[in-house]
Amino acid sequence: MAAITGSLTERIQGTIGRRFNWQYFLQDNITGSWLLTVWVIILALATMALTIRQMGTFPTETTLILVIWSIGILLAVAEGLHIRHSRVGRWLKTNLLSSVSNTLLTLFIMLVLYALAYSIWQWAVVNATFDENAVAPKDRNPDGATWGVIAGAWDLLMVGRFPREALWRVRTVVIFFILLGGLSLIVNKIGLWARSKLVRSIFTVFWLLSPVVVYILLAGVPAEGAFVSISSLIIGEIVVLGTFAFLWWQKVIKFSWLSLIGWTLFWPVAYIAWRAIGRSGLFPPINVSLWGGLMLTLIIATSVILLSFPMGMVLALGRRSEVRGIPWWIIWPVAIIATIWGLSTSTSEILAAPRNTFEKIIAFWPLLIIVFAYILQRTFQGNVIAATSAAVIEFVRGVPLITLLFMGIIMAPFFMPEGITLENIWAVILGYAFFSAAYMAELIRGGLQALPRGQFDAADAIGLNSLQKMRFIILPQALRIVIPGIVGQFIGSFKSSSLVAIVGLAELLGVVTLIVSNPAWLGLRQELFVFIGIIYFTGSFIMSWYSRRMETQLGVGQR
Amino acid sequence: MSTQTSVVDPSIGKIREEVIVCRDVHLWYGEFEALRGVSLTVKRGDATVILGPSGSGKSTFIRAMNRLEVHGEGDIIINGITLNNDVRNVAEIRREVGMVFQQFNLFPHLTVMENVTLAPINVRKWSREKSEETAMKWLTRVGIPEQAGKYPGQLSGGQQQRVAIARTLAMEPEVLLFDEPTSALDPEMVKEVLDVMSDLAGEGYTIVAVTHEMGFARGVADHIVFMDYGEILEQDEPDEFFDNPKNDRLKLFLSQILHH
Repeated sequence: MAAITGSLTERIQGTIGRRFNWQYFLQDNITGSWLLTVWVIILALATMALTIRQMGTFPTETTLILVIWSIGILLAVAEGLHIRHSRVGRWLKTNLLSSVSNTLLTLFIMLVLYALAYSIWQWAVVNATFDENAVAPKDRNPDGATWGVIAGAWDLLMVGRFPREALWRVRTVVIFFILLGGLSLIVNKIGLWARSKLVRSIFTVFWLLSPVVVYILLAGVPAEGAFVSISSLIIGEIVVLGTFAFLWWQKVIKFSWLSLIGWTLFWPVAYIAWRAIGRSGLFPPINVSLWGGLMLTLIIATSVILLSFPMGMVLALGRRSEVRGIPWWIIWPVAIIATIWGLSTSTSEILAAPRNTFEKIIAFWPLLIIVFAYILQRTFQGNVIAATSAAVIEFVRGVPLITLLFMGIIMAPFFMPEGITLENIWAVILGYAFFSAAYMAELIRGGLQALPRGQFDAADAIGLNSLQKMRFIILPQALRIVIPGIVGQFIGSFKSSSLVAIVGLAELLGVVTLIVSNPAWLGLRQELFVFIGIIYFTGSFIMSWYSRRMETQLGVGQR
Repeated sequence: MSTQTSVVDPSIGKIREEVIVCRDVHLWYGEFEALRGVSLTVKRGDATVILGPSGSGKSTFIRAMNRLEVHGEGDIIINGITLNNDVRNVAEIRREVGMVFQQFNLFPHLTVMENVTLAPINVRKWSREKSEETAMKWLTRVGIPEQAGKYPGQLSGGQQQRVAIARTLAMEPEVLLFDEPTSALDPEMVKEVLDVMSDLAGEGYTIVAVTHEMGFARGVADHIVFMDYGEILEQDEPDEFFDNPKNDRLKLFLSQILHH
């Protein structure tokens, strides 16, 4: 025993003698510069004062902290002098106890954290009341939280003033997404049927349909109106087939009779299904201004995120467009529709009671639109697309979000056709999406500019058209570069959705102000803000975690 | 087309069309005139090499041939199709003209196989099976069929350039443009790429190459062009070009590159 102790002491002394130099130690840690000396002295005094103070308040815990800290120092020293190696000692030495000032800081922060954790624990748990029915001021403990308000106001926090008898519709939405998300996860993770094209397309269809499902469940379908309106059918059909023709022309989709039949049937089937759901009375309309709480936050944030991304992409590509003049496929449809509209309204009106031949000729003025369009298309060489995109981006970025939201609510009605009113929530979502899209556009443009020119050259040289070039070569790479920025923008959109409380929508923050003005819950701000803080943090954390995971996954094969 | 003239080549007794016709091509970068009236005719099956010091406009010229650069004045006619603002003409020419770049310009986010099949599937509208079969044929042809599943970042420079050649060939073009294909390669990898190029020249592809490889120019080219200051100063058969240069700047250029 004595021999072992003796040899250890010898070893330590020997090691210290060989590996430790007081002069260097002092210079590195204290006397290196007068700034360092002053800093260490101040830190030492502050730590000492705090220790003495805490010793008076929590003697046991403070002693424990000091003991733990001292053991840590011993371990770190043993590690530093190569007396005894351990993973803990190594970690402590590199991370917490690497110098005198860091060692002092570690103690200081341990003490502060303990005091903080102690008071939070006291407030949130020890002195807190949890009874849902004991929230009146006389039942509250002034030193503790009254968590009963969360349970008592649960429905308000979750759905706002959504009709309580229709809560099953919200639950159905939640179950729908849990099932869909869970199943997609299982299929993707476990790889079950993941190779089956059919299974994958079924999931895609369900995800694409999910906004419609949410809308039908939460907003409902009105039953009134004609069962089938021929004009809506025809207009919808023209839009659908026009899209089909455009995509085919741009070689996004291949032509087959089967797909043509599918596209043709899409609108009538969707339209009739919609009317049938309305007629069935299963989902009577609910006023969307009753939406609120977490539900509204999620609806606004998700819609803004989903809308702003494609909008931002279009704006970013538009700003870099090199198309000169106005493409014929924009100018001719617009000109022809304007001409037909002019002929059917103005011309017929004048021709009904012409006063002379001159007026008979003048009546056909809409034909000039065609001439004008022809001249414009032949002569105009300005870059309209880039100019418009830049103007939209710069305007939206130059205006505060709140202003845009107010503009959406107050000014949008002026631009709407008569008889159609826009619910505040849609106006807000639209304005907010534009705001987010402008920033998104600049982010994506950054990604586009980061790509070497050779990528564009190679895509051109192998004969891809511009849409294919974007879809296969440019966007996959550019978007990968800007994932961190885009996710940051998404998180920002999610958190800033609380700003819509200012324009009177009762999302999470708005609902909290409603709750605390309720006499029963008067003044219970802290509990509610802590609660929604946790909700926002969870949402943001999940998004940033997912983005980091995505970055690692997409890093495969990077140059 | 009147622009597509046919001539009988006395040496082989076959009709050889003029595939590339450039007439008085001018190209400006803003105020700077990069090409000052260049005229060149390339016959089907010929290998033409463009030489010249850096900044002479040779890369610009070859890039103008598939409209990666837009020329201002003059005509460029490929296979009887005039290059102009008409997108359909440009698309048709790009289908028939393949290009290999100095920096390879492979798509780093796609595998080698995807790089090679992208254009056949989306531009030629071939089925995936047919495209992959053709891609495999060309990858075997350039000697790297085993790399099909890898990403470009996992290959050496020489292998990357051979993938780039396979990607170009997979579109089955008639004309191949090489823009300094060996300049970014380590010396020991230059040969593997030059060998592939020489084979292609022997197989009857119409080739236009900008290169500094004098051995390739002398041994493989049917026709050599010397450019400087955006102009063609001399063009001739290889032997005459190297042994008996007439232009002073060409003489200087040759003395510099042959003596270093």
